[in-house]
Amino acid sequence: MKYKFIDEIKSDVMFEAYGKNLKEVFANAAEAMFSVICQLDKVKAKEAEEFEVKGEDAESLMINWLQSLIAIVDVEEKFFSKFEIVKIDETCLRAKCYGESIRPELGGTVVKAVTMYKYKFEKNEKGYKVRVSLDI
Amino acid sequence: MYKEKLKKINDYEWILPKTVRKEMKVDGKLIANKAIYDAMDDGAIQQLSNVCCLPGVIEPVIALPDAHFGYGLPMGAVAAFDAEQGVISSGLCGFDINCGINSIRTNLTYNEVKDKLKELVPALFNAVPCGVGSKGKLRLQSNELDEVLVNGCEWAVEKGYGVKEDLKHIEENGKMDGADPSKVSDLAKKRGCPQLGTLGAGNHFLEIQKVSDIYDEEKAKEMGIKDKDQVLIMLHCGSRGFGHQVASDYLKIQEKAVQKYNIWLPDRQLACAPANSQEGQDYFAAMKCAVNYSFTNRLVMTQWIRETFEKVFGKSWESMDMHTVYGICHNVVKLEEHTVNGEKKKLFVHRKGATRSFPGQPVLLAGSMGTASYILKGTDIAMQKSFGSSAHGAGRAMSRHGALRQFRGNEIQRELAEKGIVSKATSPKSLAEEAPKAYKDVESVIDSVHGSGISLKVVRMEPIGVMKG
Repeated sequence: MKYKFIDEIKSDVMFEAYGKNLKEVFANAAEAMFSVICQLDKVKAKEAEEFEVKGEDAESLMINWLQSLIAIVDVEEKFFSKFEIVKIDETCLRAKCYGESIRPELGGTVVKAVTMYKYKFEKNEKGYKVRVSLDI
Repeated sequence: MYKEKLKKINDYEWILPKTVRKEMKVDGKLIANKAIYDAMDDGAIQQLSNVCCLPGVIEPVIALPDAHFGYGLPMGAVAAFDAEQGVISSGLCGFDINCGINSIRTNLTYNEVKDKLKELVPALFNAVPCGVGSKGKLRLQSNELDEVLVNGCEWAVEKGYGVKEDLKHIEENGKMDGADPSKVSDLAKKRGCPQLGTLGAGNHFLEIQKVSDIYDEEKAKEMGIKDKDQVLIMLHCGSRGFGHQVASDYLKIQEKAVQKYNIWLPDRQLACAPANSQEGQDYFAAMKCAVNYSFTNRLVMTQWIRETFEKVFGKSWESMDMHTVYGICHNVVKLEEHTVNGEKKKLFVHRKGATRSFPGQPVLLAGSMGTASYILKGTDIAMQKSFGSSAHGAGRAMSRHGALRQFRGNEIQRELAEKGIVSKATSPKSLAEEAPKAYKDVESVIDSVHGSGISLKVVRMEPIGVMKG
């Protein structure tokens, strides 16, 4: 399983994303978030945006990664459906995100921010797991 | 369990004594009737207790009847801090800075509008960009954006969006002084440039309403509302990606400030900084930019709404008397003077999911989609009991995912149609998420604010047309 949604908060959205390594958990968390922002299955992965995100540790890198993606939707006016982590360590990642220019009919809901509510980034025997709450 | 520690002091007020927790510096208070109290979740009351622990907090921290569990502070709450000894908190203000409502009147009656609704609602949907990543028609350059951030609605009026008369009927006259664009990140500005004049999505909406009841004829008349069945318009939205970015940026800055100034926080999301610190004042100046952006956003859309009515009804907007009744903020920090223990004091009042309710001022309270909304008036009692504040809406009672599981957008649309309400949304999903039953009963919220006296009923409206992002 890449991710699942957890029905806990009244006004917002919480999900858990999984991955057997850092690359996977970061890509899967992005996919979970974009399944809220747009209709993931209908957004064509035809144009790529490549960029770098930094953090102090893996925990803050994940927050910064998701926040950067939220901002890129507004700045580039694109929806994304495929996320490729080209390079990653605990404080820096380089990613290629594939998507297309926004078509309003493919929209889901506006994600205002990634919050710290019950945020948890952990390493376990299967790899990595992150729990994220989005303010929408 | 915090809720069971609330002590009833009258039919509408409950105190959370500071003795329930050693870190609490002041009492908390819930303003609610019995029905609201019964349904209130414990988490929201625990969050109330958290805020009572912050430095320089002034008694009491207030949960309003629409309060529900939020980030840091419950959504639907007010917290005031001493302007010298207290804090300014980006966490308390929340992500959607100056999310708020404008109410616009018309002199049209329901009978004149109802047969045109099927034309009017889609026309509004075309005129007011909405949904995720909705593209604005303005697309500002960055120097123009700075003007918006500093001058707010004055910029809009100068450019022909809205008229001077509008400014008199918007909180702060549509412009908070002291906004400083140099305190705003480039990323926030980049997000802000293309989005001015867009509604967004989620719980933001544009609604056409008819007056169903008038409780205070004199006050209603002052607002230009004279008759039952008169048609009004309500616009609910915020500062879009610009405000979200300002909030996210300053949460990080203030998280560091919490360590730097050695502030003990019961919850990381209550990030704040001493009121007179750089991190506190910089946030205040940047927040004002987002406040002004949002005021402008709503006024620009107001003008497009007027133009759409002109096209559909073939008359000028002035002849339809389409003036702003009032425009208010929901999420904001204000420096205000209040009487504390008989002494006048300057306070940083944080309203999150709360409206200002100064004596005589119109207070706009939105119901959930398909249910009634109200215009109330502010009171002296609000000045004494709630730092001049009242509730902002119905408040969610069910999660979005819960709503999606239980409701279908097409069914909601049909149910609305059965009530004579024409609706249009970017996707059926957004109708399902905002299903009326996912919210608290607005009438109980109204009973609580009216009964406690923090705002008094003036006009009740029912929706006849709904547009959602």
